[in-house]
Amino acid sequence: MNTLVQAIGFGLVSAAIIAVAAVGFTMQFGVTNILNLAYGDVMTASAYIGYLVNNAGLSIAYSLVVGAVVGGALSLALNRYLFRRYIRHGTQLFGMIVVTLSVAVIIQNILLVSFGPSFFVYRIPLGGGIKLGPARFSGVQLVIMAIAVVTMALVHVGLTRTRLGKCMRATACDAVLAQTCGVFTDRVVDAAWLLSGMLCGLAGVVLVLSTTAFQSTTGSEFLILIVAAAMLGGVGQAHGAMIAAVIVGVITSITAAYSNPSYQDIAGFGVLVIVLLWRPRGLFGKVEGERGIP
Amino acid sequence: MASRSPSKADKRPPRTHRRNDVAWRTPTSRSILIAAASAVAALVLAACGSGSAGGGASGKPTGKLTFVTFAPFSGPDAAFGASKVAGIIPAIYAIDHGGGILGDTKVGWMESDSRGDPADAVPIAQKLLLTTPSMVGIIGPTSDESTATVPIFNAAHIPTFALTGQIAFNRNTYPYFWRITPPDNDVGLAMAMYAHARGYTSAAMVFGTDIGATGAVPSLLKAWQHLGGKVVANESLPLDQSSYQSEAAKVAAAHPQVIFFEADAQTSATYLSELNQMHGLVPFIGTDGTTVPSWTGPVAKAVGQATFDKYYVGAQPYAPTSGPSFDAWKAAFNAVRSQEPKPASQWLDSSFAFAGYDGAIIMALAMDAAKSTNTKVFNAFVPKVTSASPGAVKVYSYAAGRRALAQGKQIQYVGATGVIAFDQYHNSPGGFEIINSKFNFITAYTAAQIGALSVASGATNVG
Amino acid sequence: MALSGYLATSFVYLGVYVLACWAMNLQYGVTGIYNLAFIIFQSAGAYTAAVLSLGPSSQNSSFQQYIGGYRLPFPLPILAGAVVAGVLSLVVGLVVLRRLRSDYQAIVMLTLSVMASLLVISAVPLFNGPAGLSLVPQPLATTFNVSPVTYSWLYGGFCAGLCLIVYVFVRRITSSPLGRALRTVRENDAAAAALGKNVNALRLFSFVAGGAIAGLSGALLVGYIGVWAPSTWGYAETIVVLTAVIIGGSGNDAGAFLGALLVPVLIVQGSTFIPQFGPPELVPALQWILIGVLGLVFVYFWPRGIIPERLRRFAPERPTHEPLLGAERSGSPTLE
Repeated sequence: MNTLVQAIGFGLVSAAIIAVAAVGFTMQFGVTNILNLAYGDVMTASAYIGYLVNNAGLSIAYSLVVGAVVGGALSLALNRYLFRRYIRHGTQLFGMIVVTLSVAVIIQNILLVSFGPSFFVYRIPLGGGIKLGPARFSGVQLVIMAIAVVTMALVHVGLTRTRLGKCMRATACDAVLAQTCGVFTDRVVDAAWLLSGMLCGLAGVVLVLSTTAFQSTTGSEFLILIVAAAMLGGVGQAHGAMIAAVIVGVITSITAAYSNPSYQDIAGFGVLVIVLLWRPRGLFGKVEGERGIP
Repeated sequence: MASRSPSKADKRPPRTHRRNDVAWRTPTSRSILIAAASAVAALVLAACGSGSAGGGASGKPTGKLTFVTFAPFSGPDAAFGASKVAGIIPAIYAIDHGGGILGDTKVGWMESDSRGDPADAVPIAQKLLLTTPSMVGIIGPTSDESTATVPIFNAAHIPTFALTGQIAFNRNTYPYFWRITPPDNDVGLAMAMYAHARGYTSAAMVFGTDIGATGAVPSLLKAWQHLGGKVVANESLPLDQSSYQSEAAKVAAAHPQVIFFEADAQTSATYLSELNQMHGLVPFIGTDGTTVPSWTGPVAKAVGQATFDKYYVGAQPYAPTSGPSFDAWKAAFNAVRSQEPKPASQWLDSSFAFAGYDGAIIMALAMDAAKSTNTKVFNAFVPKVTSASPGAVKVYSYAAGRRALAQGKQIQYVGATGVIAFDQYHNSPGGFEIINSKFNFITAYTAAQIGALSVASGATNVG
Repeated sequence: MALSGYLATSFVYLGVYVLACWAMNLQYGVTGIYNLAFIIFQSAGAYTAAVLSLGPSSQNSSFQQYIGGYRLPFPLPILAGAVVAGVLSLVVGLVVLRRLRSDYQAIVMLTLSVMASLLVISAVPLFNGPAGLSLVPQPLATTFNVSPVTYSWLYGGFCAGLCLIVYVFVRRITSSPLGRALRTVRENDAAAAALGKNVNALRLFSFVAGGAIAGLSGALLVGYIGVWAPSTWGYAETIVVLTAVIIGGSGNDAGAFLGALLVPVLIVQGSTFIPQFGPPELVPALQWILIGVLGLVFVYFWPRGIIPERLRRFAPERPTHEPLLGAERSGSPTLE
C-alpha cells in the first residue's frame, strides 16, 4: 500500500511537468490545428536561455520568467512568420508536420552549435523537502508542483472568464463561425501562440529543474510524452490535458514502482492507444470528423 | 474551339481550371530528364566529393598521409567523436615534430561523422574509402557502428584502432583490427574486485538502457557473485526521463552498501540527485562511461561537489598520469591546447584521448619500422613496435621511437595507456584503475588479475 | 576498387530505399494514409530476417541474446521478413485505421513507433536490446565465396531484380481500378463510401501491401550490412522516407524513385560539402540545419514534389468528332 501511495505521489510530480507542457501544446493544436513537433525544441531553447540567466547569478525565479518570455516570443514568431505562411500557401497536415519537424531540427542544431555538446546544470539551492506519508518530496519538486498548480489555475480562469479565453475557445471550435461573430481570429491566434509559447518556455525550465542536467536533445526527447498526454485529453481541451497529464504521470510512476522501470513509458503510451480506441476523440475531445486548418 | 456537334457541346463536362499548385505537367521527357540529371549529378558529386581537405581545426594541410577519426560527431553520442579528436591532435603534433614519418613525411587528420548508427555508417565508410586515398589509418569506429564498418575497413586493408568495448570483438579475426581499450565485460570485473576489496557484501545494480551499460552487466554480476557478494536490487533506467523517484525509492528500500552504476550524464544527474535528496547516497562505483569530465561535471553539480567527492569512484582503463609516456603526451597536448575541443582541460587525463593518441603513434611507428606507408605492409608491424621482445628498447614518445628505429633497434612503445600487449585476437586489454572524483588514482588491477577472475567466475563465457 | 565498392553499396542502398519509398508512396501518396510508424515495419522485416538467418543464440560465445536462431537458408529469411511485416501491418491497421481521424492516426502511429523502440530496447532477450544484432550472415556469402566487392555487386543485382518484381506489382495496383479506388479514398473517403467502396478494406489493403514491401526492404538491408540496432530505426527515420517521397513526388512511382535517389544521397553527401572547420560538432550540426532548410524550401515551393502525380482528366483534351460515349469507353470518368 505504501508503495502505491508513494508511486502516486511521485506520479504527481511527473504529471506537473507534463501538464504545463501538454496544456500549451494542446492549445496550439486546438486553435490552429498545427501539430507542432518543434515544441520540445522551443522548450530546450527556453531552458538554455534560463540557464544563462541563472548562471549570471540570478535566482531560479528569474530563469522561469525569462524562460516563459523566450518561449512565448519564439512561438509567436514561428507562427506568424513561418507556419502561417505555409498554411496560407495551402500546405496540408502532413506538409505542416514536415515543416515543424524541419524547424525542430534547425533549432536543436543551432543550440548544439551555440552551446556545444556538453551538459549544463542549473544552480539550485539543494536541501529542503518534506515527507507526506510514505512519499518524500524535495524542495525543487514542491516548487515544480506549485508552479503547475498555479499555472493551471490561471489557464482555467483565463480560458473561462476572460474575453480572450472565450475567443480562443470559439476559434478552436469553428474559426469561420467565430470570424463571422466578430472575433479577430488572426489576433486571437497570435495571442494563443504567445500564451501557449509561454507555457512551453515555462515547461522547458521546469523540466530541466527536474532532470538537473540537460543538453540540446533534452526537450525533444520529452515531446512524445507531451503529445500523448495532449491527445489523451482530447485535442484543444486544456482541462483534458491537465487530467491526462495526471493519468500519464501516475501510470508511468506505478509501472516504474511495481515492475521494470524501462516499461514505464510503454505503459503510458499504451494507455493512450487503448483510450483512443475506445474514445477516438480522446477523453474530453469535443469535435469529431475532419476539421480544416482555419 | 474545335468543331463539335453543337448538340453535344453544352452537354460536355466543363473544362477544369488550371491551378498553379496543381501541376498539369505529365511525366514527360522533361521530368525524366530532371530525374536522370539529378541521378547523374548525385553520383558525380558522390564520386568526387571535396573530401574535406584534411588538416585539423587549424586547417593544417594534409600532407601525403591522413589519419581519420571515424566516430559519431552528431546525435546523442557526439561526445565520442570529440574524445577521439582530442587524442589525435597531439599525436599529429608529436609525429610532425618528432621527425615526421620515414624521414620527413608529415601527417594530417580528418574527422568523419558516422552519425552513430550502423545503417548510415556503412555508406559513409565506403565513401570515406573512395574520397580519401591518402588515408592510412583510422581511429575508431565506436560501439555504435563497429560491427558493420570494421569488415569494410578490413577489406580495404586500412588499420583501425577501434574504440569499442563490444564483446563481439573479444575473439576478433580481422587482421587490420586493433584494440587497445578493454572490452565492456572487463570493467565489470574491476568494479566487482574493488567493491569486494572494500568489504562490501550487498550491492545494487543500476544501469541505463544503452549499449555500453548493457555490456558491463553480465560479467559484473558473475564476478560479484563469485566473490560472495549479494545483489539486493537490479534496476534498468530508461534514459532521459524527467524523474526517477520510483527507481530511486526501490533502491533505497533495499539498503545496499554500494551501487554499481552507469547511465548517460543527464539520466545519472537526475537519478542521483533524486536519490540524494530523498534518501541520501551510498558509495557508488561507475564504469568507464562515467570517468569523463562531461559526466562527472554535471553529476557533481547535481548532487553537490562535496557529496560527489565523498561517494563516487570510477573504474577505467589504467591510464597513468605520471611517467615518461604521460610527459610526452602532456608536452604534445600543451603545444596544441588551443586546437583541442573545448574545454581543453578535460582531455589532459582522459583515457579515451590517450587511446586515440596511442593509436596514431603506434601506426606511425609501424610505418617507420616497416619503412613503408603502404597499409598492407606496415599493418604487420603494429605488434612488432609494441611487444616486449628480447632486446627491444622501451620508448615513451614518437620521437624517441623513431630515433631508435633509425638506429636499427627494435622498440617497445609504451603508450599513454600503458604497456601494450596484443593477444592473438589483436586485443590489448590492459589493466584497470580505480579513480576518485578528481581523477586521482586509488588502486589498480593488472590484466592478469582481471583475467584470472574472469576465468574463475565464468565471465569468460561471455565473449 | 574503392569506387567500385562505393558504387555497389550505393546501388544496394538505392534498391532498399526505392522499395521503402514505393511502399510509403502506396500508403501515403496513393491512399493518403499518414503512416508515421513506417519504420517499425521495415524494422520488423529486418529483425525477422536476422533472427531466422542467425544460428542459435546460445552458441557463438553467446554475447547476444535473441529469439529464433534457426539458421534458415536463403531466401527464406527475406521472404519471412516481408510476411511478418505484412502481418504486423495487418494487426496495426485493424486497430488504428478504422476509427481515428487522420491527425490522431498520425499521432498514434508515431506513438506506436516510439513504443516499439522502447519495447525492443527494454526486453533484451527479444532482439538483444540496445546493442542490437550483429554478425548476421549475408545470404549465400559462403556459397559464392567471392570478394566483398563482387558480392556487393551480386547483392545489388539481386536487389534490382526484387525492385523490378515489386515495381510490376505496385504498378499493377496503381494503374488498375483498384488504384483509382485508392486514390478516391485519399481524395474524399466519404464520396468513395457513398459510391459503395469499402473504404476500410481498401485502406487496410494498401497498408498491408506497403508494410510487406517495407519489411522486404528491411530484410534486404540487414542481409547486406549484417547489423541491426535500435539506433537505426528511431521514429525520425520514417521522416526521411516521407521527405523522400514528398520531394520526389508523391502519388507516382517515378517520383518515389527520384526521392529515394535524392534524399538519402543528399544526407550522405552532406558529409563532404562543408570543409572541416571549428569544433568537431559544428559541421555535422550545420548539415542537419541544411537538411531542415531543404525540407522547408521543398514543402513551400514544390509541395507536390519534383515529379508530381499525373492527375486524371475529366475529358479528353484533343477535340474529337467522335460521339462522347465512343471517346470515353468507360462510364464515369475517374471513379471506377
